[in-house]
Amino acid sequence: MKKMRVNFKFCLWLVLAAVFVLGLSNESSANEAPVAPGIALAKQAKPEEKGSTVDHSKLKQLDKNFKSGDEITKACLECHTEADHQFKKTYHWTWKDPKSEGGKGADSVNNFCISANNMEDPLCIKCHPGWNGKKGEVNCLSCHGQEKFDFAEAFKDIQDVSAVGDKESIEIVKGIQDDVKKAAQDVGAVRRRNCGDCHFKGGGGDGVKHGDLDTSLLKPSRELDVHMGIDGENFDCTRCHTTTSHNIAGRFYGTPAEGRHKSLMDDDQISRISCESCHSATPHKPGVKANDHTDKVACQSCHIPTFARELPTKMYWDWSASGKLKDGKYYSEEGPYGKHTYDTKKGDFVWGKDVVPEYYWYNGTMTDTTVNDIIDPSKPVKLRWPIGTPNAKDSRIFPFKVHVGKQPYDLKGKNFLAPLVSGPKDYWKTLDWEDAFTRGMATLGKTWSGEYGFVDTKYAFPTTHMVVPGENALSCTECHTPANGRLANIEGVYIPGRDRLGYLGYLGWFIILASLAGVLIHAAIRIASSKRRD
Amino acid sequence: MKKVMVLFVALLAVSLSAGFANAEGNSTKGKYLYRNIYKDCSARGEIPSSTPIVSPSDKTQSQWERTFEKKKFDVFGCTTEFNNLTEANLENIYTYLHGHAADSPTPAKCK
Repeated sequence: MKKMRVNFKFCLWLVLAAVFVLGLSNESSANEAPVAPGIALAKQAKPEEKGSTVDHSKLKQLDKNFKSGDEITKACLECHTEADHQFKKTYHWTWKDPKSEGGKGADSVNNFCISANNMEDPLCIKCHPGWNGKKGEVNCLSCHGQEKFDFAEAFKDIQDVSAVGDKESIEIVKGIQDDVKKAAQDVGAVRRRNCGDCHFKGGGGDGVKHGDLDTSLLKPSRELDVHMGIDGENFDCTRCHTTTSHNIAGRFYGTPAEGRHKSLMDDDQISRISCESCHSATPHKPGVKANDHTDKVACQSCHIPTFARELPTKMYWDWSASGKLKDGKYYSEEGPYGKHTYDTKKGDFVWGKDVVPEYYWYNGTMTDTTVNDIIDPSKPVKLRWPIGTPNAKDSRIFPFKVHVGKQPYDLKGKNFLAPLVSGPKDYWKTLDWEDAFTRGMATLGKTWSGEYGFVDTKYAFPTTHMVVPGENALSCTECHTPANGRLANIEGVYIPGRDRLGYLGYLGWFIILASLAGVLIHAAIRIASSKRRD
Repeated sequence: MKKVMVLFVALLAVSLSAGFANAEGNSTKGKYLYRNIYKDCSARGEIPSSTPIVSPSDKTQSQWERTFEKKKFDVFGCTTEFNNLTEANLENIYTYLHGHAADSPTPAKCK
């Protein structure tokens, strides 16, 4: 009997040792396991080598004293014959979404400067890539110019100084013309600055509109953006925003950036615009639980914990407070981050830094609101809002910046008003709302009732830049927590740790406790019976 | 005679200062003349960069008026080039700097 007990103990130790060794070997084999294809593919991505086969300074087409931007473009088109036809069909030129017919170039409104007024607002039109707004030739250099150069200023100066006519002025004009020529010849692939001149300064200033796009991305650290970090992958914008016939991959209004959730391993013809393009649907190491989330949670939700991490972004804009004067003069007040919290021309502002996003179901498309839509002013109006449902195959939980505003609407018509604000006769000069509405609505072919009020609005922006390295991504407990988790408001999905299933939960605990009790009772019986046998 | 001389000098001073205050030169020409001063100056090695040390918006209009009335050009650094400027070109540069001063409608910075 004693021998049997020794054998039993020996066997027990043997089993425990085997389990321990097996566990170790499993762990080590997991460590040595091949890296997930999504990681392997992404790791191959290096900054693009942008070699050119053309030295533009040697081309006779560009060896001219240009007198206008249109002349420069005509010179470009002598070789790049199809470029303008291609470009004028794209959203960057039309500012209209071909799917929804919405957009800045149409009747859409936002809660920043409200409307581009059919591209007649002088400040908005500065970002249109044409020499003369939407008329005339495409300004190829707004995207392909390698160094920033103010062509409009140079052409005006040539005219002004030429008019003087003395010897000195002729020399000066020659100098300006040489500078123009040099800038026209200094062309190449699109750089960060080319995109950033408009996209980092949307809404009228650095970081105003997008919380995840500002000039901190010109030379970011890896911690700020793992893809663009100059000490990280050092990608230019075009590394992900790939281009086909001048159509640049990316989301606009009703058109999603990429709704197919495919990787380059599935289809090498797709753009590189989504995370899945390079990282696939299983971007983490095999066996890591996070891989099971990718059908419901967008990568951005965990990998962009906060936005506007280096520079502040505008979170609130109340137009109804504008128009106040101090001693009869315009004035502004400065608040946190050195940003204005009041401006006579614009009203009250609130800025935010290192802001935690809001999370919503999102299938890559957004709602759009125009001056034609009838609104309910008794509650905040969602001007642009993510579309998505928990059970839809293409929907994910996605992070958003939500900009809150208070803006004018037609009290009788119950539709938004689109004032002209930035021109020499517009609201910022006159502080006359009624005139700004009348002329602004006329740019859209509309009239208004003559009575106006202000309504609260919300405008959501998908947050997709400023991706942190894996080690700085959110921990599980940010969402899997009973109260105040990041996904506290997300409906339609069971989130362990956040959700309880009522009696089913109690039943689970009962089964666990009952099992434990069963084991203990069984052990007690075994011990008691063995003692009796002895 | 002494009184006439004093009156003449006073009138000259007033007319010169009024000229600068009125800023009647060619601002655009002044801008390039101003830039060229710094290009020449940096080519001589007196300053490290060809970007002007002082921008129009670094001073108010009245400060520019005083600078040019008193011809205090040491603030610009490149005194050799400034001393060689004709009165007409000084007027052009003044018109540029004054027109884009900090309290002007269009303040400007040199890039």
